[in-house]
Amino acid sequence: MAYDCAVTRGACVRVALLLAALGLPGLALAGSPDLVAEGERWWTTSPDPANPVACATCHWDAGATRGWAASFPKWKPLPPPAARVMTLFQANAEAVTRHYRLSDPRRAAATITAYLAAQGAGVPRSPGMSAGQPVFPKRLRALAASVERGKALYARRCDACHWAGDVARTLTAYPRVVGGRIESLEEYLELHRGEPLLPWNSQATADLIAYLSEELPR
Amino acid sequence: MTRSAFVAVFTLLSVVLAFAGAGEARTAITGTVKSKAGQPLPGLALLEKGEIHNNVWDRGVLVDASGRFTIELPEGGQYGLHVYSSGYIYAPQAVRVEAGKTLEVSVTLVPEPTRANDPVIKRVGFFPWEARQSKVTFVKLDVADPNDDLGPQVMAFNAATGRVYAMEPPRKVRTLKANFPQGVYQLEIDTSQVPINPRDWHFVIADHRCNTTDILSFPHEPKSPRVIR
Repeated sequence: MAYDCAVTRGACVRVALLLAALGLPGLALAGSPDLVAEGERWWTTSPDPANPVACATCHWDAGATRGWAASFPKWKPLPPPAARVMTLFQANAEAVTRHYRLSDPRRAAATITAYLAAQGAGVPRSPGMSAGQPVFPKRLRALAASVERGKALYARRCDACHWAGDVARTLTAYPRVVGGRIESLEEYLELHRGEPLLPWNSQATADLIAYLSEELPR
Repeated sequence: MTRSAFVAVFTLLSVVLAFAGAGEARTAITGTVKSKAGQPLPGLALLEKGEIHNNVWDRGVLVDASGRFTIELPEGGQYGLHVYSSGYIYAPQAVRVEAGKTLEVSVTLVPEPTRANDPVIKRVGFFPWEARQSKVTFVKLDVADPNDDLGPQVMAFNAATGRVYAMEPPRKVRTLKANFPQGVYQLEIDTSQVPINPRDWHFVIADHRCNTTDILSFPHEPKSPRVIR
């Protein structure tokens, strides 16, 4: 018992230090009303009045979409060769680029991510699987391969400075607002020092987050 | 072997085979299609084999006036089910069917809020290739799109054979995510055994943003689409 407490206390200290290093205290965190409210607007309203089809036009069933955030990272079945494992932010960016024709999809994608995360609050995490949807073994195998790539990448790029368990606990702090700018985890990783560079919409970034997600408790 | 023994063996064999046949449960997808208001909708249910959106089209059926459909399958596995009804945004969903079982699905479609962004089927034609003694017939579809964001879903369905086709674009397209060109799409159909019957053919198009045409059935005379309230 004493050992458990010591471990927990140690982990808490490490997380607090990491959060401080990331500059999180005092920031608007994921689930902040502004991000969620803006995400809901993007979700329900198309920016193009001439083409009013919005996300919610087809995905109107809140019960069906409630489990989406918990199911990421997962294999997105886009037309080949675009199909791959994606984070929720990346999948949202792909969708708003295609449907809303946004030249820079990141703000809409980040706020929709916050909105879907808020909608799915309390839903147990189940990367690769959506509640009420069939389970596809090929997609799970692709996700497992992504986790393995992410683990190797983490060991190469991040492990010297950051313990994966601590970093994993910060995943839910994104998207966040920094200096008035909305930032997703993917954009943060792109700007974070280290080699190789991780573009926010890359497979490598999805792999890294897929691995870190595995480090979170289910 | 005496004749009576032969008859007895033959009868026994027939009974065994009949029971064996009866034991093979069918593999199928069956479903209902309705609007958000609960109104049954007729239309098309078309299948991709394997992962959804892979553009490997397989078979399909007409959805009847009561919104019911059943697609018999040769084997279980993963399929992409796409359901279309005139005036509504098409609905795709990935499904997994177990061999020997029937998967029941429920599809709810939402109307296109405006038809201004829908692709347009301008003309349909069936052209026997005279040089090949009409053993080949080209099915052609003249397609436009106000937003110029067509995708691979320029679909033709032959209800007589149950075959589904993504029609060939007028020129090569780099990837399935690229915007497909406007112009004349075509299919080359082998008519050496069975002549083509235009009454069997149905066409529908959905672009990259899911804007969906009406289903164009025989006599293939395009009409102005109407908004469903």
